[in-house]
Amino acid sequence: MSSISETAPQRLALQVENLHVSYGSKRAVDGVSLDINESEIFGLLGPNGAGKTSTLSAIEGLVKPDSGSIRIGDVDARANPAAARARMGVQLQSTSFQSNLTIREIVRLYAGLYGVALTRAGIDDLLADVHLEEEASKRFSQLSGGQQKRVSLLIATIHSPPLVLLDEPTAGLDPQARRQLWDRIERLRDIGRSILLTTHSMEEAQAVCHRVAVIDNGKLLTVDTPAGLIEKHKDDPRVRKAAHGQVTLEDVFIGLTGSDLRD
Amino acid sequence: MTFAIEMSSQPSAPSINPPTLSGILRALLRADLTVQLRNGRALLLTFFPPLAVFYGLSTAKRGAQLGGAIVNVALALTLGIALIAILGYTASVARDRELGVFQRLRVTPAPTWTIMVSRLALQILSMLAMSVVVLVAAAVVENVRLDPAAYLLTLAMVIFSSAVFLGVGQALVGLIKSVDTVNAVGRLSFLPLVALGLFAHSTIFGTTFETIARWSPGGAVATLLGGAMQPAAWSADTWWALLASVLYAVVFAGIGIRWFQWSPR
Ligand SMILES: Nc1ncnc2c1ncn2[C@@H]1O[C@H](COP(=O)(O)OP(=O)(O)OP(=O)(O)O)[C@@H](O)[C@H]1O
Ligand SMILES: [Mg+2]
Repeated sequence: MSSISETAPQRLALQVENLHVSYGSKRAVDGVSLDINESEIFGLLGPNGAGKTSTLSAIEGLVKPDSGSIRIGDVDARANPAAARARMGVQLQSTSFQSNLTIREIVRLYAGLYGVALTRAGIDDLLADVHLEEEASKRFSQLSGGQQKRVSLLIATIHSPPLVLLDEPTAGLDPQARRQLWDRIERLRDIGRSILLTTHSMEEAQAVCHRVAVIDNGKLLTVDTPAGLIEKHKDDPRVRKAAHGQVTLEDVFIGLTGSDLRD
Repeated sequence: MTFAIEMSSQPSAPSINPPTLSGILRALLRADLTVQLRNGRALLLTFFPPLAVFYGLSTAKRGAQLGGAIVNVALALTLGIALIAILGYTASVARDRELGVFQRLRVTPAPTWTIMVSRLALQILSMLAMSVVVLVAAAVVENVRLDPAAYLLTLAMVIFSSAVFLGVGQALVGLIKSVDTVNAVGRLSFLPLVALGLFAHSTIFGTTFETIARWSPGGAVATLLGGAMQPAAWSADTWWALLASVLYAVVFAGIGIRWFQWSPR
């Protein structure tokens, strides 16, 4: 199933076509196609094990797809992975940094890897921007979960990439931290970045995403704006069955993906 | 509550210039050096065991039977190199893979090989530092003094020998994902790979054992290092040891690179 860009000619930040990823005999991504516009926040929703991280991993070049094409702007990511990676910022679902480095040293390392020249004062300014100036000399493992997420987002955007991939960026955050992260993501969009994020929060999808896609068993089930999805599926009997009164995005999600527990 | 945005100090036009290779290597080497110097266990593992073994071999009565002062130094160096490669290097790679450190590095524009090469370079640097310390200790304590050329040749062969054990380490950590298993197998493999080599120049367990010991990776490396310390006595045996070392290095490193598993899952 392919996504529809309903708005007329827009430049694409990311174009994924007919992506297939498998691990041994396990099909994790089964023919996913996605278009992400410039200055768009796109949400990927799906139950555990649906194939969200696998889709992102293929875009990032961490796993080799069986087939499909991936373009970041005008770069073919499969043919030219280094150029593609220079154009994207990544926050992995579970990430860590060398445990013997301080936060300041980690930022310096990644600035170097992305070819960004930063002085020590420049690094400290960046850390102050995310309210981590006190943590500059600590190790990553000594930070709280929310602080760790701020470090990984800072590093994901250190080279001002046009495309930012965030895998469950708000998982485990308190409501304050979550909203601050939403603000940050929206400001990235306001300066022209495109963001592809995954989330399990319908509230988050509705609050920040222009469009969301629902993925399950490696297949994209539907793509639209949050309101558009409700409109499109509100009369589906599976969705009606899930609804308690007014149909919500979560009802659509449960209706389309079923109510069984996943791995 | 408001947050200043981190991009405000940067141009909003996306930077799309891939970084230079030298910039990438510099960043990696700097970080890996910092990690190495800050890791107390790695430092202890680097310097203490070879010095202790050298001291033990020099003072023990049967030390002479293992082959004399030069052989003692060669054995201490062999042990030091093997410990850094088979226990230190593998443990740090297995652990970082488990934490997801490599996956994060791999989504940067840095070519994958630079991530490993930087770490390997640091290991070789540690081995050279260890060798200098052992050679100085040997000169001061046991009066084992070499020609300047022999010192240079020895350090060159230390780099060469590092390939044998780093190859072994790479194969070990490349094929096994679990941190605990890597550590356990590393310790177990120490016996056939390294400890056996201690008897490469001694017939205390008979000549068959000596032959096996001599051609084990540890034995070949010890022979090679012993030969480098006395270039005048470089013999056919030394050449054979060199050849064996090359074979071990190529085979193990080939396996470790070809089948290296980056992902912790
Ligand atoms: N390295 C791997 N080896 C084998 N199977 C894997 C691997 N990574 C993922 N899988 C499998 O592929 C499927 C998709 O996993 P993926 O991590 O993409 O799901 P996800 O949508 O990100 O889930 P979650 O919401 O739990 O993060 C799952 O069935 C998972 O078990
Ligand atoms: Mg996931």
